[in-house]
Amino acid sequence: MAANKLNLKDKYRLLTRDLDWEFSYQERKKAFPFEEFEGIKITDWSKWEDPFRLTMDAYWKYQAEKEKKLYAIFDAFAQNNSQLNVTDPRYINAIKLFLTAVSPLEYQAFQGFAHTGRQFGGVGARVACQMQSIDELRHVQTQIHAMSHYNKFFDGFQDWSHMHDRVWYLSVPKSFFDDARSAGPFEYLVAISFSFEYVLTNLLFVPFMSGAAYNGDMATVTFGFSAQSDEARHMTLGLEVIKFLLEQHEDNVPLVQKWIDKWFWRGAQLLSIVGMMMDYMLPNKVMSWKEAWGVYFEEAGGALFKDLARYGIRMPKYVEQVQTEHMSHQLWWTMYTHGHATGFHTWIPTDEEMDWLSEKYPETFDKYYRPRWELAKQMEAEGNRFYTKALPQLCTTCQIPMLFTEVDDPTQLSFRDTVYHGERYHFCSDGCRDIFHEEPEKYVQSWLPVHQIFQGNCGGPGVEQVLSEYYGMNLGADNLDIKGSPDEQRWNRWKGVA
Amino acid sequence: MSYEVTIEPTGDVIEVDEGQTILDAALRQGVWLPFACGHGTCATCKVQVLEGEADIGNASPFALMDVERDEGKVLACCAMPQSDLVIEADIDVDPDFAGYPVVDFVGTLTEVRDLSPTIKGFWFELDRELEFQAGQYVNLRIPGVEGSRAFSIANKPSDSRTLELHVRKVPGGAGTTWLHEQLQVGQTLEISGPYGQFFVRKSDEQDAIFIAGGSGLSSPQSMILDLLEEGDRRQLYLFQGARNLAELYNRELFEGLERNYPNFHYIPALNDPLPEDHWQGFTGFVHEAAMARFDNRFSGHKAYLCGPPPMIDAAITALMQGRLFERDIHMERFFTAADGSEESTRSALFKRI
Ligand code: FES
Ligand SMILES: [Fe+2]
Ligand SMILES: [Fe+2]
Ligand SMILES: [Zn+2]
Repeated sequence: MAANKLNLKDKYRLLTRDLDWEFSYQERKKAFPFEEFEGIKITDWSKWEDPFRLTMDAYWKYQAEKEKKLYAIFDAFAQNNSQLNVTDPRYINAIKLFLTAVSPLEYQAFQGFAHTGRQFGGVGARVACQMQSIDELRHVQTQIHAMSHYNKFFDGFQDWSHMHDRVWYLSVPKSFFDDARSAGPFEYLVAISFSFEYVLTNLLFVPFMSGAAYNGDMATVTFGFSAQSDEARHMTLGLEVIKFLLEQHEDNVPLVQKWIDKWFWRGAQLLSIVGMMMDYMLPNKVMSWKEAWGVYFEEAGGALFKDLARYGIRMPKYVEQVQTEHMSHQLWWTMYTHGHATGFHTWIPTDEEMDWLSEKYPETFDKYYRPRWELAKQMEAEGNRFYTKALPQLCTTCQIPMLFTEVDDPTQLSFRDTVYHGERYHFCSDGCRDIFHEEPEKYVQSWLPVHQIFQGNCGGPGVEQVLSEYYGMNLGADNLDIKGSPDEQRWNRWKGVA
Repeated sequence: MSYEVTIEPTGDVIEVDEGQTILDAALRQGVWLPFACGHGTCATCKVQVLEGEADIGNASPFALMDVERDEGKVLACCAMPQSDLVIEADIDVDPDFAGYPVVDFVGTLTEVRDLSPTIKGFWFELDRELEFQAGQYVNLRIPGVEGSRAFSIANKPSDSRTLELHVRKVPGGAGTTWLHEQLQVGQTLEISGPYGQFFVRKSDEQDAIFIAGGSGLSSPQSMILDLLEEGDRRQLYLFQGARNLAELYNRELFEGLERNYPNFHYIPALNDPLPEDHWQGFTGFVHEAAMARFDNRFSGHKAYLCGPPPMIDAAITALMQGRLFERDIHMERFFTAADGSEESTRSALFKRI
């Protein structure tokens, strides 16, 4: 019986208890000015249970070990020209999108946790945020390194950070994090640590990592595993935050519920990008977006929300409105038809891929989406590959083009609008409209790329100049269909295909 | 084929089937281990193997690094025992846990009596003293039944040579049927114990609420008898749930205690009383009786729950909505063959609930 041995919890307490300090000449409240302004009530920080017990020296030791292993694999990948082992060059476009859309969010997470951690009066929460902040910086660095190798061989990787701040569809992920980081510290943790990392992150990482593995991209698989090994700490932080807030004061319950509703909806809309990658961009498919949603949200999330119900928290408000049957098809179609303005290549799914989609979406694909692709195929055969001339209207909240349809009618685009101080604002859904209504002063400031183009803030006058001069795309190389692209020509040369 | 895995520092013992992971077996047997991803990528479930051999399974090289493999670390969510094991996990030992060693006994049945139409009381004389904490349980080996069956101890620890068990006959349950129908006074059984993490946190001074359903009265009975015998002065509330009057057993015992101890309060609840019961007391489920008594405010108490899973579930919800949380709720769930296997997906939100 080892009952009297110092257990890990006590050891950790002894090692970390002196990280806090007394405020002798300043009021404690003034040192943590944001702690109360969201309306959250904290009665006793000592009830915070450290979600994981890791001291800084152990942390550095582990992370150094991970880095050593990871970079050894990257080196081998480069030396063996392993970029030639991916299934086909279409796959590379999924990671172009990842690098421009997701990796910068790792950097935003780094900034967000550094800022937020500072705001908590409790030392446990501060230390947890600090470690996560450093993790996220490591994640973005490993991803840049992994992709820098692809940058030597393929188009579209050259200016991901610049593009993240400007390109029309990249404002979707960017605004997600901007919204969280400009919220108060507790909302930030509910948004990122809980709603995103705990509830939704498996939907991002698991399919993406398996997708990379199925398509021969061992560099991405490896950075994925390396990041996942930190993710548990992030997820447990999310869980501890939610428990802590709900237990501290009953007045916190409705605030937390409101944030869960909001961030679940924003997260679900954002992840439509991952849905599109899985259903359309991976040559070797892992599982459909609908299946992934079933496993990682409905099953795992169902168990979670069953437990949360004991605190008086219910399922996120808009869960019934997530259209897993439709979103990936509608989004890829939008990207395909705007393929002259995307920093990656687009294409028509092959016949085998369409059969796979029919099998995975028996109720909807043949009925609503296959006919469109058949038409696109016919136009392409006639030498009229279709590109739309119009710029899309964007949702003021999530900034996704208004491309999704009504929940009860997939032939009807979903539009919502509201008038605030004499101006009309447009939304893709009830969820996004309600989020606006909660904080209109925040969202009237949204930087909507299409509005900005029309206002002349993105160069121009034509779309071509916006794309090349303001976005930094190499037109004719980064954009347009994969067919006939320089990427495809080089690939065929390397592979000895005529 | 299965292996026995002992989990330090608590000393919990679980059975792990061939090809089953340690985590899966632990969670199914009510033993909590830290976990998050459940598939070998996050390292939350890392444990140290102290004795024995385990297959590390599908552990990611970033979650379980080479140096750690050499040190004998494994990930419980994907490791499968290749022999009996002793592992050390990052779990806390409760300061109130006495850690009495598990011992094998021979018990001779001295008395058996109907407590209710479905529950019998069994009294054994033991061949040696049983040191245990009120609330813990023993395992019985029942002739012709594979494995062992767990029953909570109903007597107080100071009666260390006797063992009182309350057994409800489970329809289709081989063990309880044998006890009800075959076991005769004078017969002996092999018994081992004590087991379990259900005991009174005496170092915590808050008042205590006991919620019991069916034969789940056994543990609270032992706990209350023990506290009163020690002269404990905190307020003790026993809520006992039963279907109807005939099922409400040992009522006289607790009514007697209530008369003699001003800090003990007894609140029986019947959810389906018969007309001939002429029931004047609380009608409804036992957790509803607690909600009514405390006006839905439970904070400032410790709660001890014992009984069938649906009762425990309803009680936890009631307590939490009355703002009493996991750290102050302790429980023993009485699973039976009739409950089927526990659902497989569970969230990591709670450790013990
Ligand atoms: S629970 Fe994540 S590695 Fe085991
Ligand atoms: Fe990250
Ligand atoms: Fe993270
Ligand atoms: Zn929207």
